[in-house]
Amino acid sequence: MSRERLEMAIIRILRIMGLIIFIAIVAFPFYWMIVSSFKSLSEILMKPANLGLDIQKIDFHAYYEVLFEHGFLRYISNSVYVSIVTVVLSVTLATVGGYAVTRLRFRGQKFMSYSILLIYMFPAIVLVVPLYVMFSRVGIRDSINLLILVYLAQTLPVALYMLRSYFQTLPPEMEQAGLIDGCSRLGVIWRIVIPLSAPALASVALYTFMIAWNEFLFAFMFLDTPEKFTLSRGVVQLAGSVHLSKQLVMAASVMVTIPILVLFLFFERLLVRGLTAGAMKG
Amino acid sequence: MASLTLKGITKLFGKTVALSGVDLHVEDGEFCVLLGPSGCGKSTLLNIIAGLILQDEGIVILDGKPVDRLSPRDRDVAMVFQSYALYPHMTVAHNLGFGLRMRGVPKPAIQKRVLESAQLLGIEDLLDRKPRELSGGQRQRVAMGRAMVRRPRLFLLDEPLSNLDARLRASVRLELKQLHHKIRSTILYVTHDQVEAMTLGDKVVVMRNGKVHQIDQPETIYARPADTFVARFIGSPEMNLYQGRLLQKDGRSHFQGAGFSLDLGGLKPNVGQGEVEVGIRPEDIEIGQSATPLRGKVEIISNIGSEKYLHVSLGNVGLTVRAPKEAIFQPGQIILLTIDPDRLHIFQEGRRI
Repeated sequence: MSRERLEMAIIRILRIMGLIIFIAIVAFPFYWMIVSSFKSLSEILMKPANLGLDIQKIDFHAYYEVLFEHGFLRYISNSVYVSIVTVVLSVTLATVGGYAVTRLRFRGQKFMSYSILLIYMFPAIVLVVPLYVMFSRVGIRDSINLLILVYLAQTLPVALYMLRSYFQTLPPEMEQAGLIDGCSRLGVIWRIVIPLSAPALASVALYTFMIAWNEFLFAFMFLDTPEKFTLSRGVVQLAGSVHLSKQLVMAASVMVTIPILVLFLFFERLLVRGLTAGAMKG
Repeated sequence: MASLTLKGITKLFGKTVALSGVDLHVEDGEFCVLLGPSGCGKSTLLNIIAGLILQDEGIVILDGKPVDRLSPRDRDVAMVFQSYALYPHMTVAHNLGFGLRMRGVPKPAIQKRVLESAQLLGIEDLLDRKPRELSGGQRQRVAMGRAMVRRPRLFLLDEPLSNLDARLRASVRLELKQLHHKIRSTILYVTHDQVEAMTLGDKVVVMRNGKVHQIDQPETIYARPADTFVARFIGSPEMNLYQGRLLQKDGRSHFQGAGFSLDLGGLKPNVGQGEVEVGIRPEDIEIGQSATPLRGKVEIISNIGSEKYLHVSLGNVGLTVRAPKEAIFQPGQIILLTIDPDRLHIFQEGRRI
């Protein structure tokens, strides 16, 4: 066997082993979560080490219970509301703002452009306590809309940064042509910039959605009333409640995970294109 | 269609002067070419006329009315960009009709005018395609069509041919000229290519460093360059230019250059004496015997097919001479050259005298 073929074989074995280890680490908890969510409580208690799932014994009862008896229907609609409003606001503001710092000349434009990421330098944990105190004093803390505001503040810097980088790659002549052809500035953004930025906008939307959907810290700190809970907050509430039923927590976790997974699989191509598009001159 | 007048246009970018006091008048229906090396401010001037950049001083007058306060859309001008700047997400038909759609022209009228322009440019088969499916030449036509379809008062063309390969450029240049004869619109055309300027322009504006050096018909620019910059910039190979002194001896003028002298005959008594630059174009030098020949040594011969250019050393300077294509010379050969004083261009302190 030549040296080259030996190397190729070793590399192939290493690659397969790497994949196996990676899948085991990443996929096993996920698998465990799904399998457990389909089991009944008695089955989990009797055979806790059973990794398999008996197709005939698949039990959707946990989902039913979580949705209708533990208020998860409400939590889901709350999460959907919070995430979608955050996405819409974040994408809209980031589009206009990102455009302004790339194309328009105004006093402080450089500073604005560079300070976008500054706010992102503060970790959430640093902000959560002062914000908690502040909002409690004003008396508006326990509110979903406040949560949206916080998520917006959290996602907007990165959204702006991503869109700004993308806008910088668009040739300005195209927009000048639009202006001469009779568009206003907003018309240029709407008819030329936005259609051309579809991949970047999709990745920003997906990113924002993921952050808002998965966010836990602020939801945990700010929300007191169970009717206002988001999904992630709801899962913790459920896990911490007295009658500990593993299958219920697993079913709730599946419900948190599935939408993101579906969105991600669906938008994956766009996302990759959008994230790298800023790096290359097209 | 409209006439265009610029008065004292000045533009600064920070401390760099992009344009300083540009005056220009373009007649209705005239094809005016702005010519200059890159960075001379010609594209900036175009953007100011279009309303994309605001000038610091001066006024832009279209058809007798100042348009400085108008936004680009209200100036009713069309621009063709060097990069074409077609909208990549629209079909050719939509690209062409975009300006009309933005101005609220009814759909049937748009379709009719898009088709008309497409036929005029020979792109009616491409209307359903997207810009990325077009060749460079086709894209260029679409960009032209997008400008034409609106029937603007003024066309602004910013190096529209520079992205085409040499052969295509020549043929599109010709088409552009024919197109102008057909539609007789006012065109302001920016280029750094003197061949484009000379062949297309009714009027050529030579610019450098934000200043206008000369505005004239192409023939005049070539025959009577206003200063040494224009003299060097126009013509290929470039004009021979020499520093030297003008002397008066026995009622005749002489030019004393570095290692050679020229008898200027009874030329220009008003010039007097002093430091000057004289220029002579390669084709204005005769090879052969005469009363007052210069002796030069052939150094290099460039044969471009239709003619030959001899690079000759004369005293301490070099000289380019055009020779007919049949002529046979050897490097190192001594030849006699005759310069007709009437063909000389004389400049004092850079300006023609």
